[in-house]
Amino acid sequence: MTTQVFKIPDSFKKDVRYTFCPGCDHGVAVRLVAEVLDELGLTQNTICAASIGCSVTIYDFLNIDTIESPHGRAMAVATGVKRAKPDKFVFTYQGDGDFASIGLAESMHAALRGEKISAICINNTTYGMTGGQLGPTTILGQVTTTSPTGRNLEYYGYPIKIAEHIALCDGTAFSARVSLDTVANIKKAKQAIKKAFEVQMKGLGLGFVEILSSCPTNWKMSPDKAHQRVREEMMPVFNLGIYKDVTQS
Amino acid sequence: MSNIVIDKTKCKACYLCIKECPKGLIKVSKDTNSLGNNVVEFADAKNECLGCAMCAQRCPDLAIIEVNKG
Ligand SMILES: Cc1ncc(C[n+]2csc(CCOP(=O)(O)OP(=O)(O)O)c2C)c(N)n1
Ligand code: SF4
Repeated sequence: MTTQVFKIPDSFKKDVRYTFCPGCDHGVAVRLVAEVLDELGLTQNTICAASIGCSVTIYDFLNIDTIESPHGRAMAVATGVKRAKPDKFVFTYQGDGDFASIGLAESMHAALRGEKISAICINNTTYGMTGGQLGPTTILGQVTTTSPTGRNLEYYGYPIKIAEHIALCDGTAFSARVSLDTVANIKKAKQAIKKAFEVQMKGLGLGFVEILSSCPTNWKMSPDKAHQRVREEMMPVFNLGIYKDVTQS
Repeated sequence: MSNIVIDKTKCKACYLCIKECPKGLIKVSKDTNSLGNNVVEFADAKNECLGCAMCAQRCPDLAIIEVNKG
């Protein structure tokens, strides 16, 4: 007797091919979202507020309703959707530039208001779609197309630690930082996404997950080396962990 | 008997799965797909596949569409 231990999630559209670059972790993140939607039985009742960036293409891959937001405004759009349709499950899927640079005000205020939505933020330390510019999470010393000699503290200041900031907002029910660099961490990332979705279902407040993710193209690295960079350069700055979980307190 | 199913049209030749398989059962094949990539193939003549799904968990392109554990 054989048992199927892996399949394409039902929330994933049939016969579509990702348009992400080879080796990009966005593909793993979107698959985990689809698996969690399946497992929580949410597929038919979900509205996603899509963002701007490589993350935007999520609407091409999932069997759910999606509404596009202007750059950075996914949390504001999700707020409107959830307030108009409180019975729907509403989440955002955003890049770090979208969530924490142009959209920082919308993101923080949604957390402070305790909106009953969920948010996934892909931290790849750069603006992926536009060609690898310096972003809010670019780490000190990191070379990007707009910091050719590396991120300089005097000039650009420090990178933002998103999961910690969101955890400090009183309206946040769950905030965690996870990574996709190894299969063990991929499994932990899925548990965090599930938790961030469940707190919304229980009406407890905002559920947030920051996912450390590779961008092999703009980092100019092989997919494998890019995962090594996540471990060696990103994790010491962006520590993995659960920063807030109201269900545990 | 465990096995995996690869959708070669989706493979982008990142080859992350090759490193992940604990039994070394995934190899670069001579076949190319419509993207012009040398896709991977599953070569398990001795039925060594564990059905652990490490390859499918790692694949960023959902090109490993099934893992069956037997
Ligand atoms: C108002 C506005 N400003 C700038 C842009 C150009 N733009 C498109 S994507 C992007 C950056 C996205 O970066 P990030 O959110 O980190 O996502 P990634 O592409 O890395 O997934 C920018 C600046 C835009 N589309 N709209
Ligand atoms: S540019 Fe970077 S984030 Fe965007 S699809 Fe390519 S690898 Fe992924």
